[in-house]
Amino acid sequence: MYHARLMLRNANCLSNIIEGAIYRHANLSSLVVKSKNFSSTSDIKTHQENAPLEESERAGGFAKAYEKQSHILDSQENENHTFASLLRNSKLIDLGDPVGKVVIGKIFHVVQDDLYIDFGWKFHCVCTRPTNRGDEYVRGTRVRIQINDLELSSRFLGSSSDLTLLEADCKLLGIVSTPVRTSAKV
Amino acid sequence: MLCRNIKNRYINYAVTVFRYNSTASQVILETLPERDDAVEKKKSPLDYPDYFKVHDLFTVKDLFDARVHFGHKEGSLNDYMRPYLYGSRLGHLIFDLDITAEHLRKALNVTAHIAYRGGIICFFNRNALNAHLVENTAKECGEYAHTRFWRGGIFTNANHQFGAVTRLPDLCIFLNTQNNILNQHTAVRDSAKMLIPTIGIVDSNCNPNLITYPIPGNDDTPSAIQLYCELFKQAIKRGKEERMRFLQENDN
Repeated sequence: MYHARLMLRNANCLSNIIEGAIYRHANLSSLVVKSKNFSSTSDIKTHQENAPLEESERAGGFAKAYEKQSHILDSQENENHTFASLLRNSKLIDLGDPVGKVVIGKIFHVVQDDLYIDFGWKFHCVCTRPTNRGDEYVRGTRVRIQINDLELSSRFLGSSSDLTLLEADCKLLGIVSTPVRTSAKV
Repeated sequence: MLCRNIKNRYINYAVTVFRYNSTASQVILETLPERDDAVEKKKSPLDYPDYFKVHDLFTVKDLFDARVHFGHKEGSLNDYMRPYLYGSRLGHLIFDLDITAEHLRKALNVTAHIAYRGGIICFFNRNALNAHLVENTAKECGEYAHTRFWRGGIFTNANHQFGAVTRLPDLCIFLNTQNNILNQHTAVRDSAKMLIPTIGIVDSNCNPNLITYPIPGNDDTPSAIQLYCELFKQAIKRGKEERMRFLQENDN
């Protein structure tokens, strides 16, 4: 979630940067490649003559922002996270009460009609293949599932400890993406 | 070689005891180092706290990403596992990865040292989901694995069962100390009987008492088992490489 927000901020900044870059940035050769999707090439050609004049100027607001944005993801990898902070920012805590929540899982094993789905928890869940789009459920398919119970374990009468099934209990909702290439639909 | 090391050690200790207990001047100390220089002072790997640098093999973030901190539900908690827990999240137990990391470092250190001395290491895992991975790990590092049904007397009655004088493993690594949900693996008890040191991944429903170097952590998720296998394989490889280097140096 945190990385998605960061990427969105990056994308917005990048589009702002490129709009400003056409008028002010000294080294346009690298930007020509990046801005192909954002603006027409005619704009870049007219302003290339102005480029040598801008080099002598002090680094303006754009250059500072560009420097900051290009290194913003580098510092993340070297940080030494404590276990407490890792846990606090983890998906498990974001989930809250797991009962009823919808998560995305990936099928890692298929046994005829049983699909073994791993959704990032300690256990996997096993769901039966649905009749709708059944052929698309193969190993590697990403699916949406709704959690009923994160671990099927309960205490039986007379025992001192719980008996666990080493499985989660989830309901299969639908497909997110599948590696199966479907033939062109009419 | 070994005798020479012990003699050196005694000389060193004699120097320090003499220095602290007596009020003699520094002159006596200065004469003794000459004797030390004449006899070669060699440090063995056991003199270092982390000779094979196994502490660099992993970080707490690696453990976190491999889902090592997930435990079972509170209902199946073994009382002896309470000191290793960070807490409970809506009934699901979470291990304290700082404690786990410390235990894992000790275990990897022991593994590397035993591999350095040419010991036999045996991996155990009774979870069918990860059995193939564990067997492959053992094959890749040149050690042994037993992931099938364990007959009663393999350790305790080895000579009779195998029909010949058998050498038992020098270290047993349990990637899953349970046989099934209800019972502990018999080899844990048998290793303790035969004085074989054991390393074991103990989950929140396991009993860590008989295991020499328990590692509290998740033993059900394939990603966690994969991480453990990788770490033990690296530690064993480092120990073996060091051994090869040592043997080559002595041959020359």
